Amino acid sequence: MSAVLELDDVHAGYGPFRALFGVNLSVAPGEAVAVVGSNGVGKTTLARVASGLVRPTSGRVVVDGNDFTRARTFQFARAGVAHAPEGRSTFASLTVEENLELSIRRVRGNSGVRAGLDEAYEMFPALAERRQQLAGTLSGGQQRMLAMVRVLVDAPKLLVADELSLGLAPLIVEQVYEMLGRVRETGTALLVIEQHVSHALKLCDRVVLLDRGSVAWAGPASEAGEHVQSQLGVPAH
Amino acid sequence: MILAVSVVTDFFQAVLQGVPPGTVYALVAIGFVLTYKTSGVFNFAFGAQAFASMVLFHKAADEWGWGTVPAAILSVLIFAPLLGFLLEWAVFRHLRTAPPLSTLVVSLGLTVAIPSLVTILLDFSPKSGSSPHGVVPDGRTVRYDPFGVYPFSRDELVATIVAIVAVLGLAALFRFTPVGLMMKAVVESPRMTELNGISADRVSAGAWALSSFFAGLAGVLIAPRFTTFSANEYFNIMVIAIAAAAVGKLVSLPWAFGGGLGLGVVIALVSTFLPRWTDEFAWLKPVQENVLPSIPFVVLFGVIVFVPGLRKAIGSSDPLAGVDPPRQNVASVITSAGWMFLALKAVLLLGAVAVVYTQADRTWTLLVTQAVAMGIIFLSITIITGLAGQISLCQGAFAAIGAFAVYQLGEVRGMSVLVAVVIGGAIAAAVAAALSLTLRQLTGIWVAIATLAFAFFFDAVLVKQSWIGGDSLARSRIPRPVIGTIDFQDDSNFLLLAVIVLAVCALGVYLFSRGTTGRKLRALGGSEIAARSVGISPSRARVAAFALSGFLAAVGGGMLVIGQGSVNYGTSFVPFLALFWLIVVVTFGVRQPSGAIVAAAFFILFESVFLKGEIFGWILRGEDNIPSFFPLAPDWRYILFGLGTIQYARHPEGVLAMSAAKRRARSERRAADKVVVDSAAELGTPA
Amino acid sequence: MSTVLATRGVSKYFSGIMALDRVTLEVNAGERVGLIGPNGAGKTTLFNCILGVLPVEVGEVELNGEDITSLPVHHRARKGIGRTFQQIELFADSTVRDHLVIAYRANRPRWAVVHDLLTLGRPRPEEMEASDDVLELLGLQGLADEPVERLSLGQGRLLEVARTLMTNPDVVLLDEPSSGLDRRETAALAETLVEIQAERGFAVLLVEHDIELVSSFTTRSYLLDFGHLLTSGPTEEVMASPEMRAAYLGTAVVA
Repeated sequence: MSAVLELDDVHAGYGPFRALFGVNLSVAPGEAVAVVGSNGVGKTTLARVASGLVRPTSGRVVVDGNDFTRARTFQFARAGVAHAPEGRSTFASLTVEENLELSIRRVRGNSGVRAGLDEAYEMFPALAERRQQLAGTLSGGQQRMLAMVRVLVDAPKLLVADELSLGLAPLIVEQVYEMLGRVRETGTALLVIEQHVSHALKLCDRVVLLDRGSVAWAGPASEAGEHVQSQLGVPAH
Repeated sequence: MILAVSVVTDFFQAVLQGVPPGTVYALVAIGFVLTYKTSGVFNFAFGAQAFASMVLFHKAADEWGWGTVPAAILSVLIFAPLLGFLLEWAVFRHLRTAPPLSTLVVSLGLTVAIPSLVTILLDFSPKSGSSPHGVVPDGRTVRYDPFGVYPFSRDELVATIVAIVAVLGLAALFRFTPVGLMMKAVVESPRMTELNGISADRVSAGAWALSSFFAGLAGVLIAPRFTTFSANEYFNIMVIAIAAAAVGKLVSLPWAFGGGLGLGVVIALVSTFLPRWTDEFAWLKPVQENVLPSIPFVVLFGVIVFVPGLRKAIGSSDPLAGVDPPRQNVASVITSAGWMFLALKAVLLLGAVAVVYTQADRTWTLLVTQAVAMGIIFLSITIITGLAGQISLCQGAFAAIGAFAVYQLGEVRGMSVLVAVVIGGAIAAAVAAALSLTLRQLTGIWVAIATLAFAFFFDAVLVKQSWIGGDSLARSRIPRPVIGTIDFQDDSNFLLLAVIVLAVCALGVYLFSRGTTGRKLRALGGSEIAARSVGISPSRARVAAFALSGFLAAVGGGMLVIGQGSVNYGTSFVPFLALFWLIVVVTFGVRQPSGAIVAAAFFILFESVFLKGEIFGWILRGEDNIPSFFPLAPDWRYILFGLGTIQYARHPEGVLAMSAAKRRARSERRAADKVVVDSAAELGTPA
Repeated sequence: MSTVLATRGVSKYFSGIMALDRVTLEVNAGERVGLIGPNGAGKTTLFNCILGVLPVEVGEVELNGEDITSLPVHHRARKGIGRTFQQIELFADSTVRDHLVIAYRANRPRWAVVHDLLTLGRPRPEEMEASDDVLELLGLQGLADEPVERLSLGQGRLLEVARTLMTNPDVVLLDEPSSGLDRRETAALAETLVEIQAERGFAVLLVEHDIELVSSFTTRSYLLDFGHLLTSGPTEEVMASPEMRAAYLGTAVVA
């Protein structure tokens, strides 16, 4: 069975600003891979390449066996790559329900919207109470939940989760990771970009350690501890 | 008691009277907001799109003999959306990451190109005396008076009802349909919409088609308000509509609608109630006469200057904006032209002047003199747009100030016209400085819109003041100067004088741009935040640039009218024309003085040399040899330069610099000792 | 030791969400201070408040004992705050020398027009001298007449430092100077920074993700997370603190 996502010698950046230098990475179906590293090493760029937001300047991106190097962002989404971007990841000017509708309608068609919505609210009742509220007025944690629920209803092949814990209180981070665990149980592969290493290590099978735009180390999560420690300059535990 | 009743009746009547024009403004404002919201493009060409549909409608209905309904379907339901689709696909899609200013220039280019293009392609030449008509028969004459106070014409009624239905339809579209939902999503963040598996391009093309449909609808509905088929009228209406849209910060559809309606009603109210005061207060008369036409522009200006939230209304809302590569600064292609190159150009220019001075007949001498004066005006654009990076659409007003100063001081007061030119320059500089002080908190498109509002205010109000515009007959007797024994009544002599003035101005521009203020402006253009963080005050440098630019424009305007012997405000300085100046200068290169001078030459001589085909006459030796398809319509210059702005968006340095860059690239390849490395790789190497 | 730069209880809200919570910090003359914290901790916001890019509604910013809270950016710059940028900000269409000359002039605004007429826009002798000094200090001698588009990222960053030195700053704010550079380049940059700081004696406030750079360059640090100052002290101690581990690894802080 081929990998859901494969990056082959990917270089990428923003104009003259280079962020990735020859990254190789693959995610097998159902697998959870964590990408860790200190800030500014290209983690977010890696996430954006994985979901088609940033086109690599060289190298190949393969989704489910098909070459997606020059594909458009929406084609990635249709091929089953979902992306929960760093920071705000919902449409602030749309209501909760509209946010959900937008992705559900594409996946299930007009007739499936109602059922999809019900499913989503069942999964996370707090959202049901706020269905007519603008997503921008939700708290940071609720916004992440909304993004996740959207993904769950989607049932994508791969979820790229970029710094989901960013700016959230530790308790909320726990909840978000619990949610990620549920996403994983549905068979969706995960590419988790994380700064807070401990959560990522617990959740994922494999760890990729990025340093200044290249892969410094990759291997099973169980062996990651000391590498992470030397890289980040802080003890993992 | 009776008085009170009549006041109420008047009030009611004025409100009703304001509704039909108000809905028209609202309709245009809504279409405009729709484009701005869904694509971020401040689309000045909206009026031109409306004009295009109107032309097609009349062509089909009047000349092809179609019925009103099929003609309306063709022009509004089919043609207009297609045009919007085409614009998005061919032009604006490629400008997504371009700086907002180049997008603005492109839309200005389309504003001048589309009307001419449509007129020529459709071979549209309405019979003289005919005027636009509406979609219903006898629209002007049949009247209805539902409330017994104000009789609506049938045209007004139809326009009002259709506009309201269209706006309600649009509201429903956004509120209830999946398409509307997608559009709202794209408005907020195209990137995030794509992450949902929706093609933002397709949605945005749809939005363009929709807004263009509104343009077409407005174009056909408002046609009966005008007495001539003129694209200018549509441009003017659009400026008023921008005022309405500005009320809603350019992004709110309901507010844009309310703004348009409110503007219509306010204008009607003011026109109803103003005269009452002046029975007793005669000194208010000039105020009363000028308040009315100035309302939209004062509103527009006021909203821009006084509503602080306006500037942040759009942009920076997309959380994924960081995905785009940082905006490319205009690559450094010309660091220094070198004295040799400059000297060569000067020799060539002097040679050309010498040939004209000794050989040309009177017509040609006058044409070249005009080009030289225009060159001075265009230098003002080099300063304000090329150096200061601001788009000013009121250079025509500054030039007109110079022209009127020459007329008022030189002709009316008998002062030496050359002194008058300098004084006019000083006045324009002061006006420009005051204007830019008011706008010092603003940048980008807001400066462009505010200056446009000023230009229209000048056009609608100030020109009509006797102490400025004066008497139009007397305006045609501008004397030529006399210095010592040299009488500049002689056209060749005056040409020489104009060339000298141009040379002095060009030198001044050169020194200014190399001097402290020029350096500051270039730093601000390169990175405003970095410039401020080393202690450069942006507003001070910009005020200086505006003042110098106003001075140059006025001097040029003064020289132009002295050369022509008369002030032809309508054919020389109107806002629409000034907008075309900007486009021409931008096409030829807005960053060096030479670009302005070449642009002026083209601007004035283009018609004679190319459109009338005289250049072929010269090449083929003999006027009889001019190919028979000449002369071409003068409108071609609008089309060529207007569409030329599209290439500007891709090569902002202009035609001249582009070829210079190519030259340089060639010579660099030849030198070959310095390998041009992929800039990316270069950036990666250590210091 | 005198305090050059201080924030006193600076708070900042973005549409109701607190980005900075009563942050008080001090930088003494000639001191090298670090400001660290995970992504989204509020470092950049604090920077922008100090520089005047963002308005401060609650609290005060002081420079050399003077309250500068309501001054615009360019006045603060003239009073002695210099800075560099995370994404380098250079003036397009200009040479290295142009950058230094305009920075020098912006701070000596008198008689600009007279000078322009006397020199026809060329740099004055004292400007040439001052810029040559700075270029030499940073090892950029050969590049004076290069257009900035030809510089490498590392050189561009040094040019930003050079530009800010031309204004004779009392304190320089370095915003992620290592971003976009590789390990080797970062080390080289750190070395240069140490040298010029020793030579010119300005104070530094450094925002940086690269823990190594912070450890080697600063003597004292502040740790920021969720807009709070969690701890401060000698850099080594801050690095080893439980708050540091919590902030970077996401474990809940046990108060």
